[in-house]
Amino acid sequence: MRSISDSVQGLGSAAEPRAGLRGLAHVRWGLAVAGLLLALVGLVTIHSASSELSGDYTARQAIWLGVAVLCGAIAFLFDDRFLVRLGPILYGLSLALLLMVLVIGNVAGGARSWFELGPVRFQPSEFAKLATVLLLARYLGGVHQEYLNLRQLTLTGLIVLAPMSLVVLERDLGGAAMFVPMALGMVLVAGVRWRVLVVTVLLAAVVGGLAWNFFLLDYQRQRVLTFISPSSDPLGAGYQLRQSKIAVGSGGLEGRGYMQGTQSQLRFLPARHTDFVFAVLAEEWGFSGVLVVLALYAWFGLSGVGIAERARDRAGILLVVGLLSGIAFHVLYNTAMVVGLVPITGIPLPFISYGGSFLLASFVATGIMLGVDFRRHVNR
Amino acid sequence: MRVREHREALARRTPILGWLFATFVLVVAAAYGYIQLHEGRYYRELADNNRLRREPIRAPRGEILDRQGYLLAESVPSYTLQLYRSRSADPKASLRFAARVLQRPLPELQQLVDQRTSNSEFQPVLLAENMSLEQVAKFRAVSLEHPEFEVVTRGVRFYRHGPLTAPILGYLGEVSEKELAQPGESYVAGDLVGRRGVERVYDRSLRGRDGEREVVVDSHGRARESFEREPATAGRTLQLTLDLRLQSRAERLLESRAGAIVAMDPRDGAIRALASSPSYDPNIFSQRLQRSEWQMLIDSPLHPLQNRAIQVAQSPGSVFKIVMAAAGLAEHVISPSDQVFCAGSKEFYGSRRRCWKAGGHGWVNLHKALVESCDIYFYELGQKLGIDRIAKYARLFGFGTATGIDLDGELNGNVPDGAWSRRTRGIPWYPGETISVAIGQGPLLTTPLQIAVMMAEVANGGLRVHPHVVGNATSDPPPVESGIDPAILARLRSDLWSVVNDHGTGANARVEGLDIAGKTGTVQVVRQATRIESADLPYDQRDHAWFASFAPAQDPKLVIVVYVEHGGKGSQAAAPLARELYEVYFGQRPGSGQRG
Repeated sequence: MRSISDSVQGLGSAAEPRAGLRGLAHVRWGLAVAGLLLALVGLVTIHSASSELSGDYTARQAIWLGVAVLCGAIAFLFDDRFLVRLGPILYGLSLALLLMVLVIGNVAGGARSWFELGPVRFQPSEFAKLATVLLLARYLGGVHQEYLNLRQLTLTGLIVLAPMSLVVLERDLGGAAMFVPMALGMVLVAGVRWRVLVVTVLLAAVVGGLAWNFFLLDYQRQRVLTFISPSSDPLGAGYQLRQSKIAVGSGGLEGRGYMQGTQSQLRFLPARHTDFVFAVLAEEWGFSGVLVVLALYAWFGLSGVGIAERARDRAGILLVVGLLSGIAFHVLYNTAMVVGLVPITGIPLPFISYGGSFLLASFVATGIMLGVDFRRHVNR
Repeated sequence: MRVREHREALARRTPILGWLFATFVLVVAAAYGYIQLHEGRYYRELADNNRLRREPIRAPRGEILDRQGYLLAESVPSYTLQLYRSRSADPKASLRFAARVLQRPLPELQQLVDQRTSNSEFQPVLLAENMSLEQVAKFRAVSLEHPEFEVVTRGVRFYRHGPLTAPILGYLGEVSEKELAQPGESYVAGDLVGRRGVERVYDRSLRGRDGEREVVVDSHGRARESFEREPATAGRTLQLTLDLRLQSRAERLLESRAGAIVAMDPRDGAIRALASSPSYDPNIFSQRLQRSEWQMLIDSPLHPLQNRAIQVAQSPGSVFKIVMAAAGLAEHVISPSDQVFCAGSKEFYGSRRRCWKAGGHGWVNLHKALVESCDIYFYELGQKLGIDRIAKYARLFGFGTATGIDLDGELNGNVPDGAWSRRTRGIPWYPGETISVAIGQGPLLTTPLQIAVMMAEVANGGLRVHPHVVGNATSDPPPVESGIDPAILARLRSDLWSVVNDHGTGANARVEGLDIAGKTGTVQVVRQATRIESADLPYDQRDHAWFASFAPAQDPKLVIVVYVEHGGKGSQAAAPLARELYEVYFGQRPGSGQRG
């Protein structure tokens, strides 16, 4: 084992024959290319979706994209092992930030989950997700067993539950829910016996279902729903979903044409540049546009899986799997939500939805994953 | 170390996540494919429904002209104010603003809105009509701050001569729920449709066909652009047979009394005037908001909405003696030279019947009986004919069935006979009643228009005409031969000329230089024990006055029937009105040329 200080500057480690600048050629850049292409699609779509809104959303998102790519590049420079070691510290810091935002944060969209830092709005939950993935990668990476046992699973659950419940208290259900797929992906890859998995899932389903159906009255359920997700259906009566499905469906195969979508241009579709940006894309570019974007996401996802597979150690694999699971779940949930396959909640579409924090987080995750790939030959 | 680390186990499991992700991406793709390809047409339609609003382009309602082309009814643009509650941020403030600009009390506007609260928020509420240009400008100026207001230009019916032509033209009213539900009619809620008269009967051709326009709206319902899909077809212009000058004069003559005047060409049934009094201003019906005036019209004891020319069935009185005479001659129960002695009264079927003239007429033949309107002569003639033969001739002159004029609500009147009595009263005909019918009283009922048709038949030598206000020679049924001997009618024409021109009861209708023929009628409202002058009785017990006439006697071009409700004697209350109308029509006054 090398010392940590040696590993931090992996890029400059000329002593390693296959690292260094020559190693750059073997990195799966497809991940970055897919992410960048998706971000460009996002800019173009945001431009159309926000044409009826006051304020230059496209320019702001373009600036955010520049910042995000820069931060992703910086993240690439850090050795993943160093980052994993920082896990506990970052995790503790993120919990402190989450507590702080609960007390002094700014409210947006019914959720108290933001800090206003001058012109920049910072969402600690994005940071908490990253920190949690790092801590889990460190913890589960250190478990040298074929399968996790019950004690390890419980501890994993607790690690996830702490920041997650704070995010729930912020009334950001979408943000809180994202902890689950990240942790789940990592746990699955770290190894669980089928019977443990089945029993856990069943137990959760039964307990949750019983509580939901028998211990809560209708109005209480409604109250819970409005509590955890106040902005899910502001106009009531399924208006959002209906307009969204009309937008998607009316796109047909070829779409209505760029800037020609009546649902978005005539302002029938709410949240059209943020959570429902994919509906605008589907309306204006049709099924062909949808397929192209989904293919880009598939490319991104499979590149990520490839990186995870050949990472140099357990922690590296788990780190990539955690980050990738988070992004993949965002993609699947958002696209499914837009056509009503799953309940509407505030989950943006990675790389495409308007919003700086999330774009930044996505590119930082991409940078870290590429960093893992770049350092796979270092110190095996 | 690698084995102890169990790295390979993890690397082995990782692709499972990849497959899982790929599978779900395919599921999502399939869902989009289903919605966009399979259901695309459906959602495209929904999207179009969202953004495209179909609005009717109103077809302007056809104009109505008199026979010479004078404009009687037209559509004039009117600015109306509509309130879209769904767009209003503060409905109270909106109404306050409207009340200030319109200078109307706020509660009044509030009431208009409240009346509509059951309707959808998206349906506009009509707040004002006939706004001034200044008011329109004020609403247009604030269209950004107050998007809830929309100023709409709409055609409003305007009747230039108001009450003077109302009995013929009728009026418009808002389409009813029932009519909206009718299949085959393209009504839209809020449409005005003809409710009476020409407006009603010719509604379909006057209305034209509305076009359609597609308006692109945004999610706030604000119009972004619009394009015409189908142009509107303007309503047809209707030319009436009416003579505006005669009609106006007829209405003015009836002013301050109740009654009706019909003027008709006896050759083809073209109506030249059809007046009914009291009349009303049909322009108030073109306003949708003023319901109080409408209620006043309905509640009025003189029933201004009733068209007395066709909707009053009244005893014809002595006018019916013309029919009696024709019947007597045709049935050969009398000859013109047969004489009857009138002593002022005579007993029939155990009851003493009076002649209108207290001292009696002495010996009277048919000519004198008509000219002086002797009742005793016709009592005897009635007795000879019997009710069934009287009824037969009454029907030959068109009584008992509506004339079929192209106006709505015409009454049939009634021609009584034995069968009628058994059918409707369940008792046999009482012969004493025949005596009453013989002088046009009793259960015999006719409308003024039926009297005009009867007079036309006398005037034109036996043709039953179809009265009409819209001239269309091709579609009107031709006059029907009644089968009454023209020689009898020629004789009657000359007798009736004498009524007016030879010291008869119709002398008050006499016009120098014009051969007017006519017959007066006076209908007793209450059976009088003594002969009290009608003017001394309370209004609703006074006699009804008739005068039925045509001119020129030898070549009749115009029939005029005057009916004055509770007017008193026909010779005094009705005949002079006919004279004035003949003077107007035949241009006996200086400065007007010969017409007809």
